[in-house]
Amino acid sequence: MNIRLALSRLASMILCLSFGMLLFQGIAALDMDNRVTGAAAHYLSNAPAETGANNIVSAILFDYRAFDTLGESTVIFTAVCGIAMLFPRKQILHSARGLSFITRRGIGFVAPFILMYAAAIILTGHLSPGGGFQGGTVLATFTVLMCVVYGSGFESTHLPPWKKDLLESAGALLFAGVGLFGLIVGTGFLSNLSAGFPSGAPGTLFSAGSIPFLNIAVALKVGAGLSTIFYCMINIVEDRRGS
Amino acid sequence: MSMYFVVFLYVFLVGASLAASLINDILSSVIALSIFGVLLSTAFAIMQAPDVALTQAVINSGIITAVFLAAYSQTEKPGCYGEEPDE
Repeated sequence: MNIRLALSRLASMILCLSFGMLLFQGIAALDMDNRVTGAAAHYLSNAPAETGANNIVSAILFDYRAFDTLGESTVIFTAVCGIAMLFPRKQILHSARGLSFITRRGIGFVAPFILMYAAAIILTGHLSPGGGFQGGTVLATFTVLMCVVYGSGFESTHLPPWKKDLLESAGALLFAGVGLFGLIVGTGFLSNLSAGFPSGAPGTLFSAGSIPFLNIAVALKVGAGLSTIFYCMINIVEDRRGS
Repeated sequence: MSMYFVVFLYVFLVGASLAASLINDILSSVIALSIFGVLLSTAFAIMQAPDVALTQAVINSGIITAVFLAAYSQTEKPGCYGEEPDE
């Protein structure tokens, strides 16, 4: 080992250790009191009354900072566009055959529960931990599982790319439509209860105004987008194997 | 939550991250990264951040592993075509 390699490794080790020390300071600060100031204190005390959502994280994500969430989902959309442009989209129906009969039947019994779990995460995002992003990713993972178990032909017959494009665009349009509704009413882009969305009883499924709609929109965008990324990457393998 | 479990979890986290970064075999590295994601989501759940734990579990152990394995199956491996892997 020459001296330059040793020096660079030493430097990266020191960098990692100091970064870890910094993170550890953040963890140690969790136990101290009176550390919540400014906007965070306002969110913690007023979020259930102002948004109708019990889950404060989702209240911040989809009400106070909903515009940032729109930006984040646009980032995913841009990533999907770039990857779909890099990898050619080909449709080869019968390429991978999937796993054995027992696995197919077993996953067939489990599959509805996975979908139900994803729907529960999405629809109760304003009540419990979770939300559109997590539920949408569970949906995308579900399509990956279907590809592994049933082969890639299953996906292209049941959920072809144009349907995913439709779902993703529907999610984006729903998000922008909820935002524009506030603009039309005159209370500002993506405003929630002040724009006239019904707040409902706090803690019930139909509450929190526009937050469930935004959860569904983000779930459609993220699920369709991540699934498109995976299938864009997998299609070339099937093409090479088929030729 | 007992102290021993937390210490065990953190030691395992460091071990999994070291394994993911130091192993030469890409397949083992991806699997170590997936294990690291599960452990990190457990740590987040212990630190009472269930939203982040859910995201970490689904993203790192689900999508990241699937995409990395897809990328692994796309690329040419050293030694795959009769060549010796160059260290």
